[in-house]
Amino acid sequence: MEFKQLIFWFFATLLVFSAAMVVTVRNPVKAALFLVLSFVSAAGLWLLLQAEFLAIALVLVYVGAVMILFLFVVMMLDINIARLREGFGEYLPIGAIVAVLLVLELGIILGGERFGLTTLPEPAGLPADASNTRAIGKLLYSVYVYPFEIAGAILLVAIVAAIALTMRKRKDTRYIDPAAQMQVRREDRVRIVKMRAEKKQPQGDKP
Amino acid sequence: MNELIAYIAPATPELFVFAGACLLLVIDVFLPASRRDVTYWLAQAVLAGAIVVTWQGLDGATAHAYHHMYVTDRLAELLKLVIYGLTMFAFAYSRDYLRARDMYRGEYFVLALFAVLGMMVMASAANFLTLYLGLELLSLSLYAMIALRRDSAEATEAAMKYFVLGAIASGVLLYGLSLVYGMTHSLDIATLRQALTAKPMGDNMVLILGLVFVLSAIAFKLGAVPFHMWVPDVYHGAPTSVTLFLGTAPKVAGFALVARLLLEGFEPLSASWQPILILMAVLSMGLGNLLAIAQTNIKRMLAYSSISHMGFFLLGVLSLGPNGYSSALFYMLVYAVMSLAGFGVILLMSRAGMEAENISDFKGLNQRSPWFAFLMLLVMFSMAGVPPLAGFYAKFLVIQAVVKSDMLWLAIVAVLFAVIGAYYYLRVIKVMYFDEPDDKSPVTGSGPFRVLLSINALALLAVMPVVGWVIELCRRVIGGTY
Amino acid sequence: MIPLSYYLILGAIVFAIAVVGIFLNRKNLVILLMAIELMLLAVNMNFIAFSYYLNDLAGQMFVFFILTVAAAESAIGLAILVVVFRNRRSINVEDLDTLKG
Repeated sequence: MEFKQLIFWFFATLLVFSAAMVVTVRNPVKAALFLVLSFVSAAGLWLLLQAEFLAIALVLVYVGAVMILFLFVVMMLDINIARLREGFGEYLPIGAIVAVLLVLELGIILGGERFGLTTLPEPAGLPADASNTRAIGKLLYSVYVYPFEIAGAILLVAIVAAIALTMRKRKDTRYIDPAAQMQVRREDRVRIVKMRAEKKQPQGDKP
Repeated sequence: MNELIAYIAPATPELFVFAGACLLLVIDVFLPASRRDVTYWLAQAVLAGAIVVTWQGLDGATAHAYHHMYVTDRLAELLKLVIYGLTMFAFAYSRDYLRARDMYRGEYFVLALFAVLGMMVMASAANFLTLYLGLELLSLSLYAMIALRRDSAEATEAAMKYFVLGAIASGVLLYGLSLVYGMTHSLDIATLRQALTAKPMGDNMVLILGLVFVLSAIAFKLGAVPFHMWVPDVYHGAPTSVTLFLGTAPKVAGFALVARLLLEGFEPLSASWQPILILMAVLSMGLGNLLAIAQTNIKRMLAYSSISHMGFFLLGVLSLGPNGYSSALFYMLVYAVMSLAGFGVILLMSRAGMEAENISDFKGLNQRSPWFAFLMLLVMFSMAGVPPLAGFYAKFLVIQAVVKSDMLWLAIVAVLFAVIGAYYYLRVIKVMYFDEPDDKSPVTGSGPFRVLLSINALALLAVMPVVGWVIELCRRVIGGTY
Repeated sequence: MIPLSYYLILGAIVFAIAVVGIFLNRKNLVILLMAIELMLLAVNMNFIAFSYYLNDLAGQMFVFFILTVAAAESAIGLAILVVVFRNRRSINVEDLDTLKG
């Protein structure tokens, strides 16, 4: 077994294992961490396929940002884990059977020698100074300029939607307004009341 | 500089709407809540401007741009103009409803404009990538619009269901596209077609597998059986103004999805997808019409009715050939106008702090407001396919197309289901005309709303003298594109 | 050498796990969203494998955009989830039962 194959089998096993754990574990925090593991192992496989930029982007953007978002939400919502555990594994056997059948069906088609999927030659190695990032960058700002703009619109929609849906002005929160603080005059805070001096209590009354 | 302008010029309508939406977003932030009308009129102005810009670019020629990512042809131009028009009507109808429910906010219009942009991108897609991005832009905006009524448990539940199922459908579509890409070495729709014509690949199982995944995603987005589960819940749970929007313009964009994927890209494989579409069409017509009978909520009833209408629409697509496709296009346009008027009446009824959701809310509408009862009567008759309304011509054309492609049995099944479907439309009419109203106060609406609604519903009737012209337009658009 | 089929079958396995996970999961909406992410990961695996063996960058570019859209999608999905939670104090899938008929 050559080294590349070893790496493939290692990451592939890790990916399948962690993906299976994501959907079977009941604790959402653990599921999120297993999802991180599956993203990282997928990134490893992508490196094997010479997609360096995407592999790094997957780790940085996905593991670094999106999964943190997931964890934030999981922690923020006060989820009743005891209730989530109810009925654990009730449908698991059926699910496992369906999954195995699905994989078998897809495997028969995708693994078949008839379609040239196994005989396709591995492309010649790229020269040592080939830069995947540069190639993608060049394409992105020339051929893919139009999709790039639309992707910008999609991200804008995500921002607008997330703010519109979740931001609320809470009436019970007290804000400090620095401008108002600065504009305060002495007259607003202290009122000098003119009044006659009151008679002092006779000292002797004290018990 | 001139080179740059020439480079970006073909997509002027898209850029216009994009810029308009961004401008609206910024202006709205600085407006006090009492000046929200400015936002509304600006949104209308953006759409009106888009009509002008698109109209000026009309030349009937097919042109590609942006390295073959973007195409402008007759079909794209027609669909875009229809989408602008439907959205303008939808905004006008929704105004009072939104105001009464604390949803009259800038974000609503901004998201709707981005949805329009997504539909435009879909209509002009020449590459699977742009098609997918347009679809996502549309879907993401719709999810957010449904959830915008965030204190309503029903609306947020509908949004969650729509989101989860929509995201699954996108994943399925992408999986299918990845297999197609692997087999044909291309994501460009025109190149795919060339590859499929050059070398018959009908027996390539990987390609067929990819096609099946793509078909499931299309069925989901259209709301056809067996991927229809979301339709009733989303139509019911969403705020009525969003249901109105969801049930009109995105259906037209659904035609763009079908046209670009099936009619343009996968047409050489039609022998493979035709039987699947036959199954979907029969199931959609059957299930949609039968389940609609059992509904008491009129939004749910119209949702099931939309499922059955999608079945009829698929009849046109599966008849193959320009004749079938143009009948499908005509059906979709007529359906969008009917659905606009139908939900318009529901919006009109539900203005005064209550939702007119149940069929019983329409009791004795004739005694309360005879004119609106008459408009609803037109819509219901048209949906049922009663001559001489527009819905009749639409059904007639698709069934004729089916007969012409030698599937008599399918035509008979379609007619049968159309007759079954007439029952629940007639029930609404019976309730309106022969039941006593619980509340005798007349239905009121703002002046422009009533005028627009009347125009909208009467168009179904008035189409009679010009129906030949509209059908001819659909034929020419399809003929000029394919 | 690793044949293309291996990557495709790996993608199919992850896809199947995600699909089954979505339909099995009746308790927790967050895990449902994670299963959707897995599904997209499987798709990306397919695209990158094809891109490598066909020696064509178009597949990688597609993945770039899928990643972008998926990030936007999860942001909106989580926002809707938060709104749902505020309304019913639960993210149990079985509790989403107001709409029926």
